[in-house]
Parts: sequence; C-alpha cells; structure tokens
Amino acid sequence: MMTEQEWTPKIVAFCCNWCSYGGADTAGMGRFQQPASVRIIKVMCSGRIDPLHVFNAFLEGADAVLVTGCHLGDCHYVNGNEKTEVRHQFLEEMVQQLGLEPERLYLNWISASEGEKFANFVNDVTEKVKKLGPSPLKPEGVR
Amino acid sequence: MKEMIYQTVCPGCNMGCGLYIRENEDGKLAVDFMKSSSANLGKLCRFGMKLPYHYSKSVSMVDGKKASVEYAVKIASDRLSGEDVCVNVNVALLGVGNTTNEESLAFNKIADRMGTIVNTGMGVYSELPTECHPTVGVGVTLNDIENVNRIALFVDPYIQYPLLVRRILAARKNGAYVVSVGLRDLHLADENRYIDPDLYESELGLDSGSVIITELHPNTDTGWVRRMLNLALRTQAKILFMKPFVNAAGVDLLCKGAGQKGIPEIMDGINEGNIKTLVVLDSDPIELMPDSDAAAAILKKLDNLIVITSRDSPVNRIADVVIATEPQYAKAGSFMNVEGRLLNNVHVYGDNNLPSGTAGIDALSTLNQYLGGEAMDYQTLHNKVLESIVRKYTKPKYKELACQVLDIGPVEGQKGNLIYLYNPFMWFDQPDDNDFVLVNMNMVKKLGLRKGGMIALGSDVGTVNIRYRVENMPDGLILSARKLPVATGWITMVSTEAVL
Amino acid sequence: MVEVGDMLVGYATDEDIRSRGASGGLVTAVLAAALEKGLVENVVVMKHINEFEAVPIITDDVKEVLASIGSLHSVPVNLAKYAVGRKVAMPAKPCDAQAVIEQAKRGMIDLDNTYIVGLNCGGSMHPVTTKKMLVEMYDIDPEDVVGEDIKKGKLVFKTKNGEEKALRIDELEEAGFGRRESCRFCTLKIPLNADLACGNWGVIGDLSGSATFCQVMNGKGVKLLENAIKAGRIEVQPASDKAIAIREKVNNVMVDLGNTLEKKILPVIPDEERLQYYIDQLADCVNCGACKEVCPVCACGEDSKCTTFHSLVDNYKMSMYHMVRMLHLADSCISCGQCSDVCPSDIPITLLKSRFAIPSQRKRNYHPGIDLDTPPFFEVMLK
Repeated sequence: MMTEQEWTPKIVAFCCNWCSYGGADTAGMGRFQQPASVRIIKVMCSGRIDPLHVFNAFLEGADAVLVTGCHLGDCHYVNGNEKTEVRHQFLEEMVQQLGLEPERLYLNWISASEGEKFANFVNDVTEKVKKLGPSPLKPEGVR
Repeated sequence: MKEMIYQTVCPGCNMGCGLYIRENEDGKLAVDFMKSSSANLGKLCRFGMKLPYHYSKSVSMVDGKKASVEYAVKIASDRLSGEDVCVNVNVALLGVGNTTNEESLAFNKIADRMGTIVNTGMGVYSELPTECHPTVGVGVTLNDIENVNRIALFVDPYIQYPLLVRRILAARKNGAYVVSVGLRDLHLADENRYIDPDLYESELGLDSGSVIITELHPNTDTGWVRRMLNLALRTQAKILFMKPFVNAAGVDLLCKGAGQKGIPEIMDGINEGNIKTLVVLDSDPIELMPDSDAAAAILKKLDNLIVITSRDSPVNRIADVVIATEPQYAKAGSFMNVEGRLLNNVHVYGDNNLPSGTAGIDALSTLNQYLGGEAMDYQTLHNKVLESIVRKYTKPKYKELACQVLDIGPVEGQKGNLIYLYNPFMWFDQPDDNDFVLVNMNMVKKLGLRKGGMIALGSDVGTVNIRYRVENMPDGLILSARKLPVATGWITMVSTEAVL
Repeated sequence: MVEVGDMLVGYATDEDIRSRGASGGLVTAVLAAALEKGLVENVVVMKHINEFEAVPIITDDVKEVLASIGSLHSVPVNLAKYAVGRKVAMPAKPCDAQAVIEQAKRGMIDLDNTYIVGLNCGGSMHPVTTKKMLVEMYDIDPEDVVGEDIKKGKLVFKTKNGEEKALRIDELEEAGFGRRESCRFCTLKIPLNADLACGNWGVIGDLSGSATFCQVMNGKGVKLLENAIKAGRIEVQPASDKAIAIREKVNNVMVDLGNTLEKKILPVIPDEERLQYYIDQLADCVNCGACKEVCPVCACGEDSKCTTFHSLVDNYKMSMYHMVRMLHLADSCISCGQCSDVCPSDIPITLLKSRFAIPSQRKRNYHPGIDLDTPPFFEVMLK
C-alpha cells in the first residue's frame, strides 16, 4: 500500500501531433529530468480537445490536466489552436466556478523543439499539484 | 389531421404522474409537462420522459394471424365457452392494472359472468386478513410525506420510484429524519443502515408522526409485507406501499379479495396443468415474471391464451387470441394512484371528430354479451367507479400478524445474492441504459474486477458478463435494475467472478 | 402609418375581444389578424384548461386564437420550441423571445418567418405553489379563482363572486410563495427583443385596463400592426409622453428589484465550498434528462454531447451530463427556469446554471437572445 507521503499526482497532458508531442519527445531525448506523473494523450490538433475530454480526465481521477499545442499562428490546421484558446477561456471560468483549484488546468503552447520548456512546465505543474493534494473530483478507489 | 393532445397518467408505476401526450399529424408521440398535476407538478422520471417508446399499437390476432377486433372477440368467446373450459377449475383471469378502472370493472363483470374472479396478480392480498387490505391498498398522501417527523425507507427511490425523491427531500427540509433501510446507501437519507429485521421496531424510532415507505409487487415476499404491517401497527406509524402498475390501487378495490392468486401462483398452476385457459387484460406475465424465458415456456402449455391489450408486448406473439384496444392515453376513463386519488384521462385538444376512447370497453362489452351477459357502456361503468372506489388512508385496524422473513445474503442456504430493484423499465422490458449491476468496493477488490471491466454472473439457467457500478452497500450482494438471463426469481443465488 | 420605434396605445376593435382581454385584447387581435390575412400559417397559443393549467397548441384556427385570450401567470411554459420549423406568430414573454432568437442563432428557427408579439412580464408562478398560496395566504379556494393580475407590486386574485384580494408580492415571496426563483432575478421585463413589445404598463387615464401599450421594435413589428389595422382588428394611437414615462418608471422599479434579488438568490459561495455545493446539489439527479428536453435554447436534438458521453454506469463524483451542459450553456442560458420547473428531484438547476452563465456573459457584455447581431461567443471571439 502507498502511504500518503508517497502520493504522486496523476497529470493528463493532451499533446498535439505536430508540436507539443514533439516537444515532449525532445524533452525525453534531451534527458531533461521529468516526473513520472504525466500521462500523455496524443491528438492530431489541440483543437480536437473538447472540454468534455478535460472533464472526463478529472472525473476519472486526474489531479491536473494540461492542454498543449502549437504556438499561435503555427497551427497545422489553420486555426485549430485559436479555437482551443477560446474554449479554454470558458473552461477556465467553469473550473474556477466549480471550485476546483485553478492550478489544476493549464493551456500552454510548446513547439517541437522546446523540450526543455516542456520538461520545466511539467515539473512546475507537478510541484504545484503536489502542494494541492489529490483532486477532490477523484473517484473513490482511484489513487 | 390535427395534432392531438391527451392529458393522461404515466403508466410507469402507481405514482399517478400527470402528463400530456402529443400525437402529431404523422402519429409521432411526444411527452409534454402538466405542471398543475398534484402528484408530480408535471415532473417526470427517466421512464416518463421516454414514454413515446413505451406505447406501441397492438394488433388483433387470432392464432397468429391478423384479424378484426370483432372476429377476435367472437373467437375468444367461442374458446371461452368451449366444452373443455371448466370455469371453476381451469380458467384464470389476470388484470394487474395498466388500464382504466372502467375497463377493469368491465373485465370483472366478465369474470362474474364466467363464475370466477379477476386476479390482480398480487398474491399477498389473499394471504393477508381482509382487514389489512385497506392499509396495503391505499397509503398516506404524497403531500403528507413532506410533513412527517421521520421516514423509514425500504425502497430505492432513485432507481425504483424517482418521483419520491423530491417528497423525501422536502420532508427533510421540513425537519424529518430519514433512515434508509434499503439495500444501498442513498444520498437523500440522514442515515443508511442495514438493520436486523427483528430490531426495526427498537432501532428505527418510529411513532405516529412517522411514515414507512415500502413496496408491494407480484413477487413481493408475503412475510415481508406482514413484517411491514406489524411495524406500522406497533409503532403507529403511517405506511405507504408503493405499487408498480398504473391503477394497481384501483384494480385492488374493484376485484374481489378472496381467492386471489399471485402471478407466480398462476404460473405454477399453468405449469402443473391445473390452469388451461388464461385471459389477461393489459398484463403480460412474460414482462412481469423475473425470468422471461421461463415464463414464455410455461405460457405455451396453455390450451387457450387470450390477451386483451393496448400494447404490443411479448405475450401477444404467443397468444391464441389478441384483442387490441386503443393506447392507454387515448382511453376514456380513470386511474387511481397509490395515495387513493382518482385521475382522469382527458382529451384536451384535437379534431372535432374525436375517437371515443371506448374501443376497449366496447370489445369487453361484446365479449360479455357473447358469453350471455349484458351490454356495458362507458358512462354506466364510469358512474359505478365513482361510486364504489373512492378511498382514503385509514389507520391500521388489523391485529398482529404472524410472519417469517426470508434471509437474503451471499451465504449458501440463504435465498440468494442477486436482487432485482424493480422499476418500470424492468416491468415493461423496455431497453434503457441500466446495463450494469451494482456491487460494493469489497467485491471489486475480492474478485479483482478491473476498472471499466465486467463481472461474470452464473446460475443454473445461464451466465452473463455485465458491467458494474460501485456503490456503498452490504458485502456480497449484487443489485440489478434490469432483468438478467441468470435470474430465476427476484432473488437468485449467483456465482461471481471477474471477466479477464 | 406605423414605423419602427413607435410607441402606441391600442386595443381590439371587437368589443367582445376587448372586454375579455386582460388589457384591451390587442395581442390576441394582432395574432388573429396575422393568421387571417396569411402573414403566418400557424399561431402558437396556450389552450386554457383552467386558471392553473394550459397547454401550448399550434393552430391555424382563428377561433382558437381568440379563445386563448387573457393572461396566465401560473403557466410558466416557454414557447420557443413549439415554433421550430414553422411559419408562425406567437405571443412571447421576454424569455420566450430570447429563446426564439437563440434557436434562430442555431439555425432551428427562421426569424423572418417567426413573428414575435412580446408581452411585458413581471414574472410567472408555478401552478401548484400558487394553489397552495391561495389556500394558505389568500384563504381562497383555488377552484373559485377566475382571474389574476399584478398591480403596483401586489398580486391580485379575482373570485367567482366578484371579490378581489391583493397581497404584496414581496411578502408572498418572503413566505416562500409568489414568483418562480428565476423570475425574481430576471431583469428583462419589457421584451425589447421581440417584434412588438406589448403590455399594460403606461396605459393610463380612460384607457387604463382596456388598452395595451405597444412599442414597435422592427420591420416585422410594423408588418404585424399594419396587418391588424388593415384587417380592422385593432385601433392604435400614439402614446403620450406621460404614458411613456410611466412605463419606463415601472420597468426601472422591476429591474432594480431584480438586481437586488439576484444577490439574495445567488449569494456568493466561498471558493472552498463551491465544489461540494455542486456535488451535493446534483447528487439527487435521477438522470431523467428533462432539463435538456425542456431547455428552450438547446438545439442539439436527441443525440447530443451531454447525453452521449454520460453513462449511468459511471460513478463519478459529478455528473458528466451536467458538466457538459453547464459549459455548453455558459453563453446561451437565459435563466428562464424551465429546467428547475421540471426537475423531478427539485434540484435548483436553473440557479446552478446561472452561476456559471451569468459571470461568463457579464464578463463579455453578452446578452443571449437579444438579437442576431451577437452570435454565440465562440464565433464572436474567433473573428
């Protein structure tokens, strides 16, 4: 059995095929130190991320959710990430109103070459979420 | 044709929820809310919201072939007056409700004519002293529930009787203390307890300002009903027996109590060859019995199976004669709900040349005449209903009843561990998204069930792999809100393992 | 000639309609004329069943339109969904009109074919609550009621034997009766989003009680009125400055009250308590789906995101269905209260949705259901 001190957060990161997934890859190849807390879900474009995917991650037990994609203007599908950004504003407001800590939801643009940025981002989030503790939406029986 | 709007009562249970059915130019149905309805304020549960899928047009048939109603009635009367039909011995009539008081009364007249009675399918009535019947038949009003000091809850309102939820919540807001003695933890209860039935009286703290909410259905254990009645008697608490069929309370008052058979008894009678002819009015034993396949197999043993119905249900397909009547919402007539309130069907809007809504009564009348009885018309029947069946909740007037309650549990020698939570979807065999069972976390851990995976249940009659949902409930039990091909009764002993 | 922006006072020419109507029968006459003269194919009206019950019908029969005369404060139905896919005229409370416009934004209603005769609305009441209120507060048998009215902050009931009894609305609401919660904090009292904005506020002098104040909001409003005048159904005259000022004053009082009550009805819940509050409120949900079915701004149809990705087998701490709907309605919720009305578990679902929608809408100065020039935010923000 895990004790409370050993608790590591579960973080779900949605990465787009063209940029941020590459960024995660670069982070690995560059051997930047990363916590084992992140689960990456690859999608073709961050514009594919529906708010319900984010809700689902939280309801299934994620302690934080990261939505990542190409820098604005670099989207491989014209303006997918701009749609993501609009959605994210509503999502952020909703998470805030729900009473979930804002530190549990992030939007970040990471290019394929920004391995270090990805690693720092993930480390940073992990630290913050560790302080917060497990998500109050985590179902019973899920660690 | 114009859109038709009917004011009617939900056929899901005996709550008596008022609603509108809108039938558009193409015959497509939609539900609309009747906000002034006293039982439900126009609110509906999952079943009520899906009512357009529930109604289906029945077709008159004779020996599996389509026929006119007139012909079907004629053939039915021929079969019923056949030489080998011996009324007192081998004929049974069954009408659990699911239709108007007026049709039920007409059905009773036919029974009179034939020298028999209509069985309401609730075997409990014949096993209880008659002085108990009023208490079981009509309960406290739904409004009264909101003003009690304590509620002992023996049903799962969320799954079985969702319109009770708001009444219980209102009671809590008004200061009532709610103890659920059900099979799983309920959010609306102040306290969820699994108490030894012998300790109900001492542990539940009931008094004359309290109410006991429990249920009565064709497969209810009589011992259980007796225990509930005793509890009400000793504590002076009021009691409400929830019932599963629209107008179950009405047919109970219309039918003669003595000699009543429950559906399980009738099925046993057929199986043993004692009952050769069965006449049912809007009551499908295949839907009502826990094991549909077994019920269908038994019904096939009948010489004559005569079905009078407004719906296209499984029994129609094996019936010798089907006499089709209009859909329940289109019938002229009244229903009595669980609190004893009489609710009328009203044709609110539509063409000037409206259908009379008496096709069912007319068919029953013709049948009665063929059998040598008198003609019956809607108005006379309706007036009789108004005279004879108005009832209010009365204080218990019976004496202490002897009772023995069966044990439920996962242990060998007990009755079983898979328990049905009867709800309208289950009664009417309607598809819904309850395709899972409820288990507790200990079972998940013990069996090593996987998240999002399935549990395998097995019994003498088959196996099933099914998804599960985790709830706080007693160890070893499995609750199901839909029929499963492993069950043989409302409680079944099943084996459990993880599907890997 | 009628022009956009006109402020008029009018009434039905037919004496019978005029006397039976709550305020001169103008609205009924305009609807009847629209049907008679072929401006529309159908009219959506409420068929009265009794003082506390009516059911919306879609009719092409002028007689049925005329029979629907009279106001009903105890039948809180939203009519927008009945207008979908038809060429209709309809009477509309401000929230009906909002819903029609939101449906139009989503391509379900063609506004060019939908004529909206707006009615001032101070709020509506739930019929069962009203009956209980009659017994407990008014000492009137609900069966005896033949009419109601709202006058000077008082709710008036008229009985069979010609008596009237009035009680202050704020007192009634203090006692847990009166208007539905969502009506109490509503601030759109005059339907400026409809084609015509009609009501009895500002009807003064001799005409008081037997005429309707009517503001012409757009070209369709002009058509409706001119059509009715040409058909000889109504007579109108310009409203006096005094009348206009009084109407404005009444509206301001109502709007101020709405703003005050919003703070009372939607008190701030501390950050750390909110999640548990929502979880508790939604825990009694019985998954009937009525709140979506009845939602007048929802245009998703049967297979929608909120239902498809919600499964009863999930034992989540919060319902996916509700989370999706909360977000989905953040831009379009008009706080009409329909969902709370039909919730079998009495979850104050409108209030929950409003807690998400109102801040989002205010932040962007966005008002749902006002006009087609402001499409849903998503589009606005991408531009």
